[in-house]
Amino acid sequence: MNLSVTQSVFPVGPANRLLVFRDMAIIAASFLVMAIFLPMYWLTDFAIFCILVLSFDLLYGYMGHLSFGHMLYFGAGGYAASLTLLHLAPNPFLAIAVGVVSGALLAAIVGFVVVRTEGAAFALVNLAFNQIGFWLVLSGLQDYTHGEDGLPSTVEAIGFLDFYDTPVAFGFMLICLILVFWLLKSLVSSPFGIMIKSIKENEDRVKFLGYNTLRYKWLTFVIAGTVAAFAGVLYALVKGFVAPGDVSPLENTRIIFSVLIGGAGNLYGAIVGAVAFELITNLLATTIARWEMILGLMLLGLVFWFRKGITGYTYELFLKMGRRAPAAD
Amino acid sequence: MSEMISTSGLTKKFKELVAVNQVNFRVAEGQVAGVIGPNGSGKTTLFNLLSGYFPPSEGQVTFQGEDVTGQPPEARVAMGMARTFQLVSVFDHLTVWENLVLSNVRFRHNGSWLTNFFFKNARKKAILEYCQESLDTVALSDQAGTVTSELSYGDKRMLEIAIALSLKPKLLLLDEPLAGLSDHEIGEVIELLQKVKSDFTLVIIEHKISKIMDLVESLSVMNEGAIICEGEPDEVLSNTDVRECYWGREDC
Ligand SMILES: Nc1ncnc2c1ncn2[C@@H]1O[C@H](COP(=O)(O)OP(=O)(O)OP(=O)(O)O)[C@@H](O)[C@H]1O
Ligand SMILES: [Mg+2]
Repeated sequence: MNLSVTQSVFPVGPANRLLVFRDMAIIAASFLVMAIFLPMYWLTDFAIFCILVLSFDLLYGYMGHLSFGHMLYFGAGGYAASLTLLHLAPNPFLAIAVGVVSGALLAAIVGFVVVRTEGAAFALVNLAFNQIGFWLVLSGLQDYTHGEDGLPSTVEAIGFLDFYDTPVAFGFMLICLILVFWLLKSLVSSPFGIMIKSIKENEDRVKFLGYNTLRYKWLTFVIAGTVAAFAGVLYALVKGFVAPGDVSPLENTRIIFSVLIGGAGNLYGAIVGAVAFELITNLLATTIARWEMILGLMLLGLVFWFRKGITGYTYELFLKMGRRAPAAD
Repeated sequence: MSEMISTSGLTKKFKELVAVNQVNFRVAEGQVAGVIGPNGSGKTTLFNLLSGYFPPSEGQVTFQGEDVTGQPPEARVAMGMARTFQLVSVFDHLTVWENLVLSNVRFRHNGSWLTNFFFKNARKKAILEYCQESLDTVALSDQAGTVTSELSYGDKRMLEIAIALSLKPKLLLLDEPLAGLSDHEIGEVIELLQKVKSDFTLVIIEHKISKIMDLVESLSVMNEGAIICEGEPDEVLSNTDVRECYWGREDC
């Protein structure tokens, strides 16, 4: 090593802008292939759940902030959509717009408080806000939410876009999933993506690079909440109603579980995990009476032995194969 | 010569322990200043106060004529103060070039850094070129794609210095940059510092005094939280108080 300026070949190539399109095509193809074997309305739900888990991966996988209160934004999106459809107009795009903006505003306000906490406190403060939201829906704001009865969220078809036509709904949700993937993939590939990974590793150190980390943590929280609200709106649109279960804090376990199964901190893991989790629960529930126990055992296995999830281990396998290959020549 | 940084009555207490005690420290613009002192004498704590890692119990820090005592670290960095840490602090889980993206995008990139920050790929050619330039100054270009945790301690130290340099500092604070390095690596760090020192004001904490004697133009000695002696390096080292507090230390 010597200190004179070396014009060595930089071993890192510039971004290949086509890669993200390849990934988007793979996601679309996988869902279409699954549609051959599985009921299409399952896959519609899967796609929506994938969006929710993707939003959570940004917060947990990339920034290292585990929240037990992510369902709050999913529910907020759903209820805002439903109220819009009931009181303003039965237009799905209006519902999406209002639902997403409501989720963003809520996350912006709650985020202002929660990003000041770390670790367990962050998880629990989020849970507390989720509980408050759940209570508001069940009783605090009963006059508007109709408590346990829930609310209808019926939409009128716009041309061929009829959410009660299964293939149309499936196609629409799949497109939404692919667009969300593209959006988040672009975000995590930018310097901002490096920022949130750096915050995960050592937040104090990032401050000494001249960045106000609180601002970026808040922004990440708001983006995650907004995308979760988008998923909530979509869910309300295909189901035709919203219920307190859509805001239930207990549902957070499904999201966390999915990210762990798929592997946190790479968006593919969120999608693989969400699909795997939905498949497991849907299939087990129809064949085994007390399937929750199997889920519990799986969770133990994941936490103790398979922390990297499906995508993490697949990636390692590829690396090993890649290392072997050049040794051959 | 105008002052780059100065403190007045700077004090930091950890419960009963007074780690930094009524320190009036000043460094003129363009100077290379050394800070020495036995273990636990408060050198790192002084740096932490200068850089805003924590607030002082008493006293002020003035940077480029502005009172920055209440300013958070990021504000001081934006004003031109960069630092390294006694135990090398880089992002182990990121690759080497990724470690340089945040500083380069913010402080060295032309045009709107916010656009690049949010909407451009970090592997954009222009960003990579800035990172490469940073890595060239510390001869780490060929490791650009390596995960940082796989670097040797010496290379991590070089990377940390490269990060600090890419912040375009007016004042650079180095906390024991030679600690834990081999003689060969020490030579490289010194060579690098000799090369870049004219670009900014430099303050170095160092135990290996003999290694930095050629570099520093002034020396401050800390003991038990106070500066007990300062001035020309040769004068300071012949001072009896200083000899006393260093008595028996092989480095001196
Ligand atoms: N965050 C902290 N909390 C409590 N005590 C601290 C803290 N930081 C430093 N100290 C104490 O303050 C004193 C000065 O520590 P400091 O790290 O500044 O010394 P130093 O001169 O840098 O020593 P060294 O040469 O070992 O690096 C020590 O007694 C140390 O234990
Ligand atoms: Mg120290």
